[in-house]
Amino acid sequence: MDCCEFREKYSDFADGLLEEEAELRARRHLGACAACRRFDSAFRRGVSALRDLPSVEVSRSFGERLRGQLRHELVVRALAVDPLSGAIAALLVLVTVGVVTWDLAELHTARRATPAVTTSAAPPVAQPVTAVPQFRDTIQARPELLHPFDPVLLISDTSPAADAGAARFDVPAVWGGR
Amino acid sequence: MTLVANSSLRGSRQGQASVFAELDDSHVVQAFLDGQSRAFDELVARYQARLLNFIYRTIGDRERSEDLVQEVFIRIYRHLHRFDQTKKFSTWAYTIASNLAKNELRNRSRNPLVLFQAIKKHWEADHRPLQFEDSSSRPDDMYRKRHLRALVEQSVERLPEHHRVVFVLRELEGKTYEEIAEITGCNLGTVKSRLNRARNSFAAIIAPHLD
Repeated sequence: MDCCEFREKYSDFADGLLEEEAELRARRHLGACAACRRFDSAFRRGVSALRDLPSVEVSRSFGERLRGQLRHELVVRALAVDPLSGAIAALLVLVTVGVVTWDLAELHTARRATPAVTTSAAPPVAQPVTAVPQFRDTIQARPELLHPFDPVLLISDTSPAADAGAARFDVPAVWGGR
Repeated sequence: MTLVANSSLRGSRQGQASVFAELDDSHVVQAFLDGQSRAFDELVARYQARLLNFIYRTIGDRERSEDLVQEVFIRIYRHLHRFDQTKKFSTWAYTIASNLAKNELRNRSRNPLVLFQAIKKHWEADHRPLQFEDSSSRPDDMYRKRHLRALVEQSVERLPEHHRVVFVLRELEGKTYEEIAEITGCNLGTVKSRLNRARNSFAAIIAPHLD
């Protein structure tokens, strides 16, 4: 056996899995070859040191963290798997969507029917300044519009109709009464 | 996993836990599947340190290893009902751990952060707590021993990823070739070939430092 063959079969040699004849040849080579002896010694010492390494321990918080994650896992699983919970969740979603849709439809209908709703919903818009004198002029010209049944206003009215009425109540030029 | 509310309940649960401790893995798994949630605690107790050491020796980062062990148990919890009970639970747990460790190494190889972590690891070595050693040993022996430990740790880290997993499973976890094949998803020939290469590399890396 040469060095190449020894290294090729080294794993089986280290595990004691070589056939009896191959094992003998390997041992013979090991006795004769200093490099392979050194190689074999390095491997065995290295593995022994590796096994002697202090083992790593889990931290104190490991268990609590794991429990927390498993609790979360349980909740997710319950929501995903339990048909009753799933049905309730689906129903809630449907009801919510229904209410919102109905609300929106109502709002839309109301907007169409009364534009005033729009103005009331919209921020108040300031009246144009010119509207005030127009309204005042109209009222001054026709005050009966504010008090349509006020007899005083009707009598003192200066409208053509009032003029006609006034003519009717005028004292006749020739008074026949005593 | 419910929180224990009172001492009597705690007592009964401790009793239950000790019952699980006497069972083998397959029976503990069956107990959990039958609704005894405390059986899962027993699985965690049995495997947390083993999986942590396996992942730590594979990826070389203590904190990240613990995160990955958590992930292993979450996956076990999630998929235990699908576990083929004709197989060994430990092999399945190691398969999950091995896959997560391999993914971690692949992600790191794409991430430059790995350089920082490698440096950080050496910083941490200076801050390790003092460990009591055999007082009968001579100081130079102690030094050699400590030096050898650091050396073997570095030698394992220098192995290529797929060699390292096989090497750690064999040399540290004591798995058989068949178990390693199952855990890594390789055939027996590949496992033997990888292990032989890993052993050769390990010896070649460490030999010059031992004289």
